[in-house]
Amino acid sequence: MKTILQAEDLEKIYHVGSVDVPALRGVSLDVAEGEFLAIMGPSGCGKSTLLHLLGGLLTPTRGRIVIDGEDLTAASDAKRTDMRRRKIGFVFQRFNLFPTLTAEGNLRLAERIHAGNSGSGDAERRREVLRLLQIESKMHHKPSELSGGEQQRVALARAVVTRPALVLADEPTGNLDSENSAIVLNMFQEMNYRFNQTIIMITHNPEAAAMCRRIVQMRDGQIVAPGGGIQL
Amino acid sequence: MESLVTNNIRQRPLRALVSMAGVALGVCLVMLFTGLARGQAHDLQRRSSNLRAEILFTRPGALGLTSSTANLSTKYVAELLKIDGVVQAVPAIRYVFQGNKGFGFEQVEGVDWQPYAEMNGLRIIEGRAPQANDEIVMDETKVRESQRTVGDTMGLFGGQPYKIVGVYAPEAEARVKMSLAAMQDALEAPSKCSYILVKVRDGEDPLAMAQRINTALPGNTIQLTRDVMTNIEKQIPFLGVFLRSLVVLAAIVSAFVVMLAMYTTITERTREIGMLKALGASRGYIVSVIEKEALVISVLGLAAGFVISFGAGFLIHRAAGLSFEYSWTWGLAAVLIGIGGGTVGALYPAMRAANLDPVNALSYE
Repeated sequence: MKTILQAEDLEKIYHVGSVDVPALRGVSLDVAEGEFLAIMGPSGCGKSTLLHLLGGLLTPTRGRIVIDGEDLTAASDAKRTDMRRRKIGFVFQRFNLFPTLTAEGNLRLAERIHAGNSGSGDAERRREVLRLLQIESKMHHKPSELSGGEQQRVALARAVVTRPALVLADEPTGNLDSENSAIVLNMFQEMNYRFNQTIIMITHNPEAAAMCRRIVQMRDGQIVAPGGGIQL
Repeated sequence: MESLVTNNIRQRPLRALVSMAGVALGVCLVMLFTGLARGQAHDLQRRSSNLRAEILFTRPGALGLTSSTANLSTKYVAELLKIDGVVQAVPAIRYVFQGNKGFGFEQVEGVDWQPYAEMNGLRIIEGRAPQANDEIVMDETKVRESQRTVGDTMGLFGGQPYKIVGVYAPEAEARVKMSLAAMQDALEAPSKCSYILVKVRDGEDPLAMAQRINTALPGNTIQLTRDVMTNIEKQIPFLGVFLRSLVVLAAIVSAFVVMLAMYTTITERTREIGMLKALGASRGYIVSVIEKEALVISVLGLAAGFVISFGAGFLIHRAAGLSFEYSWTWGLAAVLIGIGGGTVGALYPAMRAANLDPVNALSYE
């Protein structure tokens, strides 16, 4: 199976005043295409830092990240932005939808940015995603008119509508009640199953992690299980 | 298709209105001040151009735009008539006072009506010429703007009532005229005048005549009437500098208001900028979104500024009689100020947004 993500010996040190704070201490991780991977660990263990590095939002102090054959760490800021545009979709704990746009507007904006500010996107793909996520009827609603679960489904739709190589989800159920969490996690599974979408999800929730095909445990800036994780 | 730009403007109408007001203010400053300067200058020029006398004879410093004195002896009339080529010399006093609406200046002239009217082709179109010391005539514009008619009174010289006995046309110099004797009496300046209008014989070269008069009566000021008001804008010291300074000021005001408004909105939308970055929006895209928003605001502010300028100009004209004359050149300057000020003002906030750290932006509360 094709490896979609290779992270080698990642280190990240934050400089806080004159103090160096290591957040990651040599993390290596391979993710195959179509994997649904959970990263778990206590607060402050470096999960979010790892996710931000994998998404090109941060640069590592040391190490290398290759996504779908392209070296993210060797790229300039503009190139990393471009790789994010072409290859990565994000889902955040706080949904992070544009409040002035409708659900459909949020999707179209993502498509527009993905297409390099031109074109109107793939309408068929959009309809398919919306149907699978059961939010077709909410397309003309603004985020403030949607429940938390619906907002997160829109965020997921936005992340996958452009067919990214990798979806990075940062505590996607952290702001949802258990019922909506279950719905959203099912949707993640559905996206992974139907579209063979590679997903890396950070979570504190063992039940959420249990829905993934693989779980990686982190502690103190390191992956604790040798070989990069626990195969379930 | 929904637009992030227009939706952001609609979402924050108050901020958008403040920004538009900033642009509109700049446009209004330019259009109203330049319109007023041009309107008033051209109004004076138009009235001056109706004079048929070729030469204006006066004492140095006797005539200003906002003041005048009666320091010229009327005896010069006889002296002027002795000069070969002078066919008519008519004395006049110009009295300049602050308008009773609290701003601007008004003029009243004292003239011997019959020779003055003959010389300059004026005619009484309603009523009669002024005779008694408390009588005045007005031109049609003054009658219309002051909403007075023949038989009404007008307060002059500290509120003294003067009766309107006639209306004359065409307009020439001061819109209100009384007899020279009445003006001399009111100013306690017997046998004095401010200037003498000189008509030269047909075929005489006015410039040669002016030199001849200067030789005969040295130490006085001799001007050709065609030169006196040809360019009021140049005669008012630093008017051009003032207007150009105003344009720069207007541009700065517009740019600063838009910059502050856009800076505020960028701060408010820090997380949204982070979201754009997470979606892979380039710096150029982020700058373009903010600049487009500023452009839309600027165009709307520009339109509002023009509407307000024209409306205010019309109302001020109706209320105070001040003339506004707008020019394409200054209009274009206002457009450049509105658009340029808005887009340049938004540039710094846009660059700041484009350079935000995405992780910090996404965690912004």
